[in-house]
Amino acid sequence: MSGIIDYLDYEIPSLIVEGVDPNKMKTMAAILRDPYPVHWDKDANETLGLEGRVINQGPLNLSYIANMLIAWQGPSCIKRLQARFLKPVLDGDTVIAAGKIIEIIDHEKARVRARVWLSRDNDIVLEGEAEIQLSS
Amino acid sequence: MQIEHWENWLLTDCTGSAQLPSNIVHPIALFHIPIQGVGTSIAELFALGQVEGAGSVGLEGYDWEYFSLLHEDVEYCFEGEVIEVERIQTKSGGVFDRFVFSIELSTAEGDPVAKVTNSWRFWRIR
Repeated sequence: MSGIIDYLDYEIPSLIVEGVDPNKMKTMAAILRDPYPVHWDKDANETLGLEGRVINQGPLNLSYIANMLIAWQGPSCIKRLQARFLKPVLDGDTVIAAGKIIEIIDHEKARVRARVWLSRDNDIVLEGEAEIQLSS
Repeated sequence: MQIEHWENWLLTDCTGSAQLPSNIVHPIALFHIPIQGVGTSIAELFALGQVEGAGSVGLEGYDWEYFSLLHEDVEYCFEGEVIEVERIQTKSGGVFDRFVFSIELSTAEGDPVAKVTNSWRFWRIR
């Protein structure tokens, strides 16, 4: 990249999460002190038609986007995250975090806006935008 | 309120990430830390919304702004409020209450650190 303008339409290196782990959901539920059983009690989800499966926490889904951005531009790069949750992610799912730069917000400060999304089998389950501070 | 090392370590591990350097708190902590910081809990918010059981709650969206990095073992201040409650009827006949709350984080000196706005759905008829 020779200048910040070159980042427009740049595709952020994607991050693959293979087989979302139900044990991490249990730990996450404890950290969050989240009583919602859909994340840790697979029997509770029978009424939802999800027999034997549990639903990943929304924050964990968003964390895969954050981890993709951090892997690309470092731990201080995220300035804003906006997300809409479209479909649940279940244990065992493989999801891909991806993004594309859609706007140069500030040339001097090297700040850009990206469309970001999380997909499963090419189906988008989370989408949103991120403001990113480029590292150099 | 402070974010302790063990909590950040486990949280970061749950995301599948390596631990971040220099005791930086993983950015996803902006989900639960602000809720705890204002002295409430997810359970209390569910009780406020009168929801219980699988399928009664859904996430709609987040808008999280980061003004500076969060670090472990640093005292932060929190201030927030419920900013919107609206009953929505879906095209398929479902009914939910949109519940939106916003919380601001600052340092003990009053410098802004982050602001979160979270929108949840409390389902009445699915």
